[in-house]
Amino acid sequence: MRSMSKILLSPLFLLLLSDAGIASDYLFYFEGQGIVGYSSAQKKPIYYSMDPHAEMQKPSIGFDYIGRFSGETGDVASLAVQGRFALTVDDDNYKFEPQLYNAYLKVKAGWPYVWIGHNRPAFGLSAYLDSHGLLLRTLAMQGFGYDRDWGAGITRDFSWGDFAASFTTASGMPIYFKGNYMAASRVAYGVLNRDNMNLGFSLAYGRNLETMGYELIDDDPREMMLAGTDLTLLRDNFEHRIDLLAGEWLGEETYAFFYRFGIDLLQEGRLKAEAQPVYWKFGGTENYQISLCFSSQVSLSLTVRLSYTYDHAPDDSRVLLQLYYYRPI
Amino acid sequence: MALPKGRIDVRMKTSLLALFLVAATHSVCWSAVGCDLNDPDRDVVRLFPASTGYKTSYVSIAKKGGEGLLLKVEKRLGDKFRGIYETIDVPYTIYEIYTGNKKIGYIHGVNQKGQFGGIQVFLALDLHGRIQSFYIQKMTSRHAGKLRDAKFGNQFAGLTLKDFDLYDVVTGNATGKVAAIRNPVPEADIDFRAALRATKKNLVLMDEFVFSENQPVSKEGEMLK
Repeated sequence: MRSMSKILLSPLFLLLLSDAGIASDYLFYFEGQGIVGYSSAQKKPIYYSMDPHAEMQKPSIGFDYIGRFSGETGDVASLAVQGRFALTVDDDNYKFEPQLYNAYLKVKAGWPYVWIGHNRPAFGLSAYLDSHGLLLRTLAMQGFGYDRDWGAGITRDFSWGDFAASFTTASGMPIYFKGNYMAASRVAYGVLNRDNMNLGFSLAYGRNLETMGYELIDDDPREMMLAGTDLTLLRDNFEHRIDLLAGEWLGEETYAFFYRFGIDLLQEGRLKAEAQPVYWKFGGTENYQISLCFSSQVSLSLTVRLSYTYDHAPDDSRVLLQLYYYRPI
Repeated sequence: MALPKGRIDVRMKTSLLALFLVAATHSVCWSAVGCDLNDPDRDVVRLFPASTGYKTSYVSIAKKGGEGLLLKVEKRLGDKFRGIYETIDVPYTIYEIYTGNKKIGYIHGVNQKGQFGGIQVFLALDLHGRIQSFYIQKMTSRHAGKLRDAKFGNQFAGLTLKDFDLYDVVTGNATGKVAAIRNPVPEADIDFRAALRATKKNLVLMDEFVFSENQPVSKEGEMLK
């Protein structure tokens, strides 16, 4: 915990050491959020979006830092550090927890970019969709993969799309070395911002640890071999995101399907409605969730999200309200 | 780091409430939506084929000159800054383009409210602020293809801020070279005008951020011509 706190504080020192000139080579954002909800299964208020032990949304304050390093002839590397101090409320217990999301150095290495640190594994929709501030869960956030993982990877953009590969510890937020590893790669057709579509195909192989947030659920790595495909399609004010995976996850036969439909109801994305069905089969268990989420950018730093999720297996209906604040410093 | 039970209930509940209040009371503050190239390595070479590298830097109106600069930019644009994409603290990403260690130009993009969400308009500029290339990066409209087409973008090549000074971003009235720019999709008039407004905004900002700063200044503080 102490070392994690040091890591979280390091960008502040970088900021102090940086040139405070008018044009800068870094961006630094403050992030704060409050979250409150109600779970019908627990019959009580909750202060987290998913689980007290998961890394997803909790009351927190944090930052987002990205710095560039340049030589005489251009940029050579970038450093990204994104962390939070989160408050975990579990029954009558309260715990402050430092969380580290992005923490990687990305270097130009001729043909590809090479990153090392804590970053997105090259698998599925979560390889490029940033969910770290959102209420709706991707498959990786749901536990089928890792939203961030420790290791290294390469990325390369082409005129027709992009390619990424990663080799990571398969432990998610914490680092463990218990014979666990994950090799993943994703190739995608389409440049999302240009073509309004991105179709990806992913493969992953390894021995994975089951973790939830910083908690190790099982210290015995299990076999993993997955194939997946994902699609993002934007047209006018409509968004479609699909993520499918199949194979073996944590030693169990696994199938998962995710679809998120979004519609911008006001200009500039001021009001967005999203609907999301998710289905999975993990070993002998099946489950599905149905979610709705409204996001309103009530001011330009503040987003209010209100979501409803029905989780079939625990027969839980959950309503969540999130205030999410994000602004540059 | 677990805290003892019971005694801290009130303190914790107060903390939770405080987090909500902190966010809520900041609701009048404006934030930032930056505008980066999707893939700078690819895009820089495409826009400046002779380039060998680029440097990225960030600048905002807030840090560069504050409210005074914002008013100046609005006056030069001929319209108020409004909405998510036009706040005083938006971090603008400026790419300085190099051949070896010699600077040959700039690439700068801005976000602009379009018919469906935001559009991103990038300009490749020479060292004097003349448009080398016009490039719409993000646009989700079904008509995006025609507005991204090179034929449309080529109409902007060679234009400068002086040309766009003759374009009224509020009424859409133009004289001179800007009046000659043709909309390839009449159904997408909102996005067409958004692209023109974004171009003028882009040029005004670059003039304030880069070109005015690079002007040699006399001892009396006046710009030398």
